[in-house]
Amino acid sequence: MSPIGPLLLATFLFCAGVYGVIARRNAVLVLISVELMLNAVNINLVTFQNLLYPGDPAVTGQMFALFIIGVAAAEVGVGLAIVFNMFRNRASVDVDDADLMRW
Amino acid sequence: MLSEYLPVLLLFGLAVAFAVGSLVVSSLVGPRVPNPTKLAAYESGNIPLADVRNTRFSVKFYMVAMLFLIFDIEVVFIYPWAVVFRELGWFGLGQMALFIGILGVAFVYEIGRGGLEWD
Amino acid sequence: MQIDFIAILPEIILTVTALLVLAADLALRGDAKQFVNPLAGLGTVAAIIATVALWGSERVTFGTMYVVDDFAVLFKLLFLGTLLAILAISWRYIAEHRFFQGEYYFLLLTSFIGMLLMPSSRDLIMLFIALETVSVPAFVMVGMRKRDLYSSESALKFFLLGVLAAALMLFGMSMVYGFAGTTDLVGIAAAISGETASVPLLLGSVMLVLVGFGFKISAVPFHFWAPDTYSGAPMPVAAMLAVASKAAGFAGLVVVAFIAFEPVADVWGPMLGVLAVLTMTVGNLIALQQRDLIRLLAYSSVAQAGYILIPFGLARTGPGAAVVNAAAIEAVVFYLIAYAVMNVGAFAVAIAVERRTGLRSIADYAGLSGRSPLLAMGMTVFLLSLGGAPLTVGLWAKFAILEAIAVDITLFGIVLAGFLVVNSVIAFFYYLKVVRTVWMDEAPAGLPQLQPGFNLSAVVVVLMVGTLVLGVLPGLVTDFSSVISIVAAG
Repeated sequence: MSPIGPLLLATFLFCAGVYGVIARRNAVLVLISVELMLNAVNINLVTFQNLLYPGDPAVTGQMFALFIIGVAAAEVGVGLAIVFNMFRNRASVDVDDADLMRW
Repeated sequence: MLSEYLPVLLLFGLAVAFAVGSLVVSSLVGPRVPNPTKLAAYESGNIPLADVRNTRFSVKFYMVAMLFLIFDIEVVFIYPWAVVFRELGWFGLGQMALFIGILGVAFVYEIGRGGLEWD
Repeated sequence: MQIDFIAILPEIILTVTALLVLAADLALRGDAKQFVNPLAGLGTVAAIIATVALWGSERVTFGTMYVVDDFAVLFKLLFLGTLLAILAISWRYIAEHRFFQGEYYFLLLTSFIGMLLMPSSRDLIMLFIALETVSVPAFVMVGMRKRDLYSSESALKFFLLGVLAAALMLFGMSMVYGFAGTTDLVGIAAAISGETASVPLLLGSVMLVLVGFGFKISAVPFHFWAPDTYSGAPMPVAAMLAVASKAAGFAGLVVVAFIAFEPVADVWGPMLGVLAVLTMTVGNLIALQQRDLIRLLAYSSVAQAGYILIPFGLARTGPGAAVVNAAAIEAVVFYLIAYAVMNVGAFAVAIAVERRTGLRSIADYAGLSGRSPLLAMGMTVFLLSLGGAPLTVGLWAKFAILEAIAVDITLFGIVLAGFLVVNSVIAFFYYLKVVRTVWMDEAPAGLPQLQPGFNLSAVVVVLMVGTLVLGVLPGLVTDFSSVISIVAAG
């Protein structure tokens, strides 16, 4: 199987994530976009591992992907807590509303 | 290579046909005797008090979900351990005990601080 | 499979301490909670002893993922020393502000465990874990003042930019893995050097990996979080982000740049050099207009990151590169140590002033010399040292960078040196402005005398003495920093 397909998918997901981070104003949606990017990385890693380096006894790519999944969960937990706290304090999760400090 | 996916496609078609088929057949064959109780949203549950779509959930649901998520995902590290656990032997068992022990401390802390209490 | 537990003893000690702190937080009630601070301090001292015992040895464990060499030991001592100072200056501050004390110290320790991992990592996975272990607790600590709008806003900004940088770095890492087939840094270097023609995709991936570290060190295109986060965060956390977290970013950058990406140094070297020029110039120019001391320190720390990036701009590959690169690493390490001494000190004084009066604009430092001579002296020494005045360690730190440039003089090196000198002069303007306010201006009526606690005074005195002694005898540190060399362990 050619790695082109999965890599294209990963690139698409990553670009969608970058677009979401830049264009979305809702903090929760920004968070979801970042998750898209991380999952694109996972697809990349697993693809490389399985299609280019299948003989690696340490299955490095898949292990890396597992660690990313774990860390991403911790990040989401922390991030949602921060967003909730923001919401409690100013009843908005719009990133543009976070403008108390400039320069 | 694509032919390998033929069974999947067949199964997919079968599933769709079955779903659509049963809907059509039941709507043709089944008797219809409507009454107000039957037409309520939950036939044997409480009648909803307000429109559900725009009400907000309590933030506690998210909190519990988050706490669950973190502990749930960390368990992912047990899978690779399980694959090679015979080769690692007692050493691997000790390491995993350490890992779960640290997770356990976090869990005890969570309970101790009332993270799982609803009120 | 064997694990060298001696090699990771400092990390183990800190982990156990962190768990004990968590347990103590559950057990203790009310005012007794502040005694988790000395508990954390004891753990830190134990970790320092364990680290000192590792000096001179060379241990490799977890396959080749984890290396303890003199480079790593020096960095670990830097982190642990900073941790000790930050614990001392946070005691009263955290106890008085009714923070979540147990959580604060737990997160602080956890963040420092990540830092200890950083200079020992010889694998992309390990580097990623270390970086995230530093970052994730820091996100929470910044937002610790739960009901404060500034705190939650700065946490949100820090978090969103942090995860974005992490995601970009991971994408770069995945591409590097796809290219090299391994995440081992030495293996990556071998795979890259085998390529005669540079592949654009690979170079792009290398840049993406460097972005992740660029965020941590607040280099210029990724510096936007720094001033907002520092001014919104509790002040000890700001000190930790400005010093320890930045040093950790530099440790990771040294490891990944000089081991894994060494064969393409002629590509990332000039790029980081340009970044260095941008970082120090932008940081200094914006710092000139600041009226809030914390924001001034934040932009000054951005500018300092620019200075520390200069040696990376000198990196090169090919014959004769080893000498240049070794000198560059040495300059980075020495500057980071000097920077930690003077910047923690400056933050300590700022904490003492803010804790008593709640004020932090530069105008509020007027007449500090009358209100607390010790703090005024300290602030003066630290700011002059940050500017690079003679008789302080700051001068030798800048001198170390010039020395690294002089190892093999190139046109680019001369340009970098020129920018360093010009920027140092600009920086003196705003440092001296604060010093003048402290000594010359009349204190506004009604401001109380400042009586810093014992811990904080001790930190200020020790760091002040350190700044001055190292300013006269820099050999005390360079004797150690000049013998280090990174062990690649392949």
